[in-house]
Amino acid sequence: MSRRRDDDDEEEMDPEEEYYASDDDDGDDYAALKSGGGRKRNRSEFIDDRAEEVDEDEDEEEEDDDDDYDGGGGGGRPKQKRRSGSQFFDEYAAVASDDDEEEDDAEDDFIDPTLDLPEEDDGRLNRHRLLPRDDDQEDIEEMEKRLQERYMSRRHQVEYDDEATEVEQQALLPSVRDPKLWMVKCAIGREREVAVCLMQKSIDKGSEVQIRSAIALDHLKNYIYIEADKEAHVKEVCKGMRNIYAAKIMLVPIKEMADVLSVESKAIDLGRDTWIRMKNGTYKGDLAKVVDVDNVRQRVTVKLIPRVDLQALAAKLDGRDVPKKKAFIPPPRFLNIEEAGELHLRVERKKDPISGDYFDCIGGMMFKDGFLYKNVAMKSVSTQNVQPSFDELEKFRQLSEGGESDMANLSTLFANRKKGHFVKGDRVIVIKGDLKNLKGWVEKVEEDTVHIKPKEKGLPKTLDFFERELCKYFEPGNHVKVVSGVSEGTTGMVVSVEGHVVIIVSDTTKETLRVFADNVVESSEVTSGVTRIGDYELHDLVQLDDRSFGLIIRVESEAFHVLKGGEGDKPSVGLVRLREIKNKIERKNYAVDRNNDSLSVKDVVKVVEGPCKGTQGPIEHIHNGYLFIHDRHHLEHAGFVCAKARSCVAVGARPNGHRNGDSLSRFAQPRTPLRDPLSSMRPPRGGPPMHSGGRHRGGRGHDALVGAVIKVRIGPYKGYKGRVVDVKGTMVRVELESQMKVITVDRQSISDNVNVSTPFRETTSRYGMGSETPMHPSRTPLHPMMTPMRDPGATPIHDGMRTPMRDRAWNPYTPMSPPRDNWEDGNPGSWATSPQYQPGSPPRRAYEAPTPGSGWSNTPSGSYSEAGTPRDNSTAYANAPSPYLPSTPGGQPPMTPSSAYLPGTPGGQPMTPGGGALDMMSPVVGGESEGPWVLPDILVNVRRSGDDIVLGVVKELLPDGSCRIALGANGSGDTVTALPGDIDVVVPRKNDRIKIMGGAQRGATGKLIGVDGVDGIVKVDDTLDVKILDMDSLAKLAT
Amino acid sequence: MFFHIILERNMQLHPRHFGRDLRDKLVAKLMKDVEGTCSGRHGFVVAITGIESVGKGLIRDGTGFVTFPVKYQCVVFRPFKGEILEAVVTMVNKMGFFAEAGPVQIFVSNHLIPDDMEFQSGDVPNYTTSDGSVKIQKESEVRLKIIGTRIDATEIFCIGTIKDDFLGVISDPGATS
Repeated sequence: MSRRRDDDDEEEMDPEEEYYASDDDDGDDYAALKSGGGRKRNRSEFIDDRAEEVDEDEDEEEEDDDDDYDGGGGGGRPKQKRRSGSQFFDEYAAVASDDDEEEDDAEDDFIDPTLDLPEEDDGRLNRHRLLPRDDDQEDIEEMEKRLQERYMSRRHQVEYDDEATEVEQQALLPSVRDPKLWMVKCAIGREREVAVCLMQKSIDKGSEVQIRSAIALDHLKNYIYIEADKEAHVKEVCKGMRNIYAAKIMLVPIKEMADVLSVESKAIDLGRDTWIRMKNGTYKGDLAKVVDVDNVRQRVTVKLIPRVDLQALAAKLDGRDVPKKKAFIPPPRFLNIEEAGELHLRVERKKDPISGDYFDCIGGMMFKDGFLYKNVAMKSVSTQNVQPSFDELEKFRQLSEGGESDMANLSTLFANRKKGHFVKGDRVIVIKGDLKNLKGWVEKVEEDTVHIKPKEKGLPKTLDFFERELCKYFEPGNHVKVVSGVSEGTTGMVVSVEGHVVIIVSDTTKETLRVFADNVVESSEVTSGVTRIGDYELHDLVQLDDRSFGLIIRVESEAFHVLKGGEGDKPSVGLVRLREIKNKIERKNYAVDRNNDSLSVKDVVKVVEGPCKGTQGPIEHIHNGYLFIHDRHHLEHAGFVCAKARSCVAVGARPNGHRNGDSLSRFAQPRTPLRDPLSSMRPPRGGPPMHSGGRHRGGRGHDALVGAVIKVRIGPYKGYKGRVVDVKGTMVRVELESQMKVITVDRQSISDNVNVSTPFRETTSRYGMGSETPMHPSRTPLHPMMTPMRDPGATPIHDGMRTPMRDRAWNPYTPMSPPRDNWEDGNPGSWATSPQYQPGSPPRRAYEAPTPGSGWSNTPSGSYSEAGTPRDNSTAYANAPSPYLPSTPGGQPPMTPSSAYLPGTPGGQPMTPGGGALDMMSPVVGGESEGPWVLPDILVNVRRSGDDIVLGVVKELLPDGSCRIALGANGSGDTVTALPGDIDVVVPRKNDRIKIMGGAQRGATGKLIGVDGVDGIVKVDDTLDVKILDMDSLAKLAT
Repeated sequence: MFFHIILERNMQLHPRHFGRDLRDKLVAKLMKDVEGTCSGRHGFVVAITGIESVGKGLIRDGTGFVTFPVKYQCVVFRPFKGEILEAVVTMVNKMGFFAEAGPVQIFVSNHLIPDDMEFQSGDVPNYTTSDGSVKIQKESEVRLKIIGTRIDATEIFCIGTIKDDFLGVISDPGATS
């Protein structure tokens, strides 16, 4: 019942409320034996009783109670259920204040076994019968754990409590001689009922029942406590009872007994000037300030920003009809007396008899300085976790400026401090007491006490203060981090301190913030607070819709500030929500500046025209010919500006060289036209691959190797660095840096990711160019040939190609292996010797190039050089090798159509090695990427004449790309030869044994331990590694 | 504050530079590498004034690079808390103004600008005293005191104040023109 009362609005007490007025307390956590709400008070009684074994003259008590409760036991009334037990227990609230008057009531918590209350019997039994059996069993262990946790924390608290209670009280704590407390399981939700039943039983059975008491705690479900001397007594009493499961009886350790019945006292510390929040009514959730506390009546006077609708009030006071139901709550607004006067409200001026302050009284409400002063019950305000926001406090300050110091406001802030608020070394200032304004450093923190080392001389070495008397203190210039509040995580430097508010300049945004000193710690780290929502991070380039893109320059809790690129002269910044962002643009792009110098990310550029003229800084992102430049002197938009690449010039020495005016112009020209036809040629491929493809193959790709600084990975020269001077087929000639020597090494044994962006680039580009120019002409006549060639193979190849190609990207070495074979087969030679490969004269030029082979080798070199960027690799390869590569067993299958075709149209081929790189990509890639497909021992579906598909096991791969397949699931059937096009690899399922057909691990066997979309999780047999591989590269192994 | 100090650095030199001009190359590289950089301990390296000594080179296996320990004299600039500096205003906004003293950027918050100076927005945003006699705008030279520094790997950022005796504008471009 007390629960219910809690919820009642304190203002409108119902008549019976008065009875309980004194026991309004949140402490009613448990019901004593006899249902209903036990009280905080009861606990102490309990302990008293147990300790002293005070005589129990219940009869008298009973009567007292009866009187008190106005015959509460009477049946039939609606409240009967609630009240019926009331005779048996007392309800107290305030512990201390009521002690005297209720001293004699104390004992009635105890059951007198001889007690006889016949008139109650009926009701009680009735209820028994009506009760359904509730067999809900809760996990006992979990329960135990929970209990344990509870006790753990409690124990801690009790130690603490002990200090507070008097010595006397300590003597009352249970000892070994006292009866013990047992925890008994019961049906969930029946705790109280069980307790009442036990009481009834004790009444009925009299002295047979040897337990002392039974307790049901409101907060503890599924268990009740029984006080008894022996476990047997408990068992005995539980016999024949419903809803109680006596199978498991646990003894509560003596230490914890007191905790069982102790009520977690919420130390309501309401002092003047504390901030509170209203719990209910119109002002629910509003911040209020305590102006007066009446501890006796448990009421407080609070100061609020009124939510008064004067119009409605006027109407009401005039006696006019006021619509009863209030649809809206008036917004908080300071009351203006004049305004009230205009509405002809009667404003009375009253003097408060105690404080002597004058109040304006309107319709029973007291106002002063625009604030509403309201008297409310302590219960209707919440004191816990009141975190007044800055705005709220500002509002309060507005009108009440002057008199109240900032420091006063602090008291509540302090009350909500987290544990460990102060740490050693913190600079603090004393804000209360004699030593107010003393500054010092925290030396040691003990619970509430903080020892500080004062700054002033002539004071003892350390002084101790209560935590609340201290406030953190900062000086301008301190570098701090905000640890809580709205701008949590931000770091900055303190520019000024106003009372307990510090003003800091954020490191990243260079904006000023106002924060409470309490929410700030000194820190040397630099962050900007939140920098990420979802996948997007500060300073990411994002695509907003098809047309627009932008750079995230600021992240707020829900949205991003995006500096939009492109359109418009003025930089536009938009607030963009997470879902409005399509995707992140991560592509590495390049652009060309005004002088046709190519620009890449991190190059320093200067804007020479347009709105941002004059800004200079490194490029952060490039997209569609726009650059996002970070200029640290630019303060708007976090220092970012967006400018057209064409209106910028590169500044200073850029990391990636070539700026030979001459070669550049030559360089740039061929490239542009080159790209365009290509893009139109391959529409389905979309942007990215084209770009990168175009770039690498066409202009820069191969030159990255010739002239690039590489490191030898394998062989006698392992570890040596050098510059590539020439590429010949599979061999690369490398000039070593450390020795005056040019060595020839296999392509595979070099790694070129050392640092391609070294000054050698200049030469590089020149090389590239030389070989390139002659290529281009060759392209035109060849195009027509491409078409027929592509047609047959195109579709199947395209399909297959995409995925594997991508997966290749994951394994830098994959593409390497098959092609190597080809090359090593003496390919370069073979090209040269087969005349039919040079159908047109233009391509021949390539051969005539001064560096023999440079024309050729460039292409492959391009691919090799990109060992790091495998995607290109595969494509590049593809050109040449695929048709020729019978030796790569895997290479063939899917190619068949095209390969079959190719020999017939030899003209198609020369393309490949040459500039073809780009054009050939599609068919070729197909060839290559499917190259690694089939391997011996895997299970495949063979499409045979007609449409029937037969399962078979690959036995052997034939040089022409087809393979011999033994039919049947275990290869027991006939052996047939099938073209790769007729073979489908059987897709493995989870737990199947598999063979890896692509990637570095090609040929390895393993077990598929899981499938995640297109990726398979594979446990490789040899290494026992777990790898994530593309499902396309996995094939089921024949058993 | 400027310091003339001796610093040491291990320089890696590419083998192609070996030869007669090795030392020159080394110095040139050192200058290129070091001048204009910033370290938390020493601040900005403004200029290298001389080479104290070049130690024995150590050839790195495999790469052929040679590492020389080089001791060099250089002028460094490091702002300190409490230091008084003269700086040029680079930007004025309502939060305060930014000024630069060489490579160091200094922010003077409006809380640290004398109270009688008010922000005037407009074409040339500035802070002006109520009588209009003193004006802080872009390109003004101000004398300020540093009250806080934040030293990153690549830059030093300071907070300054002009709310003190003898601080403030020392030359006003607006007044002269």
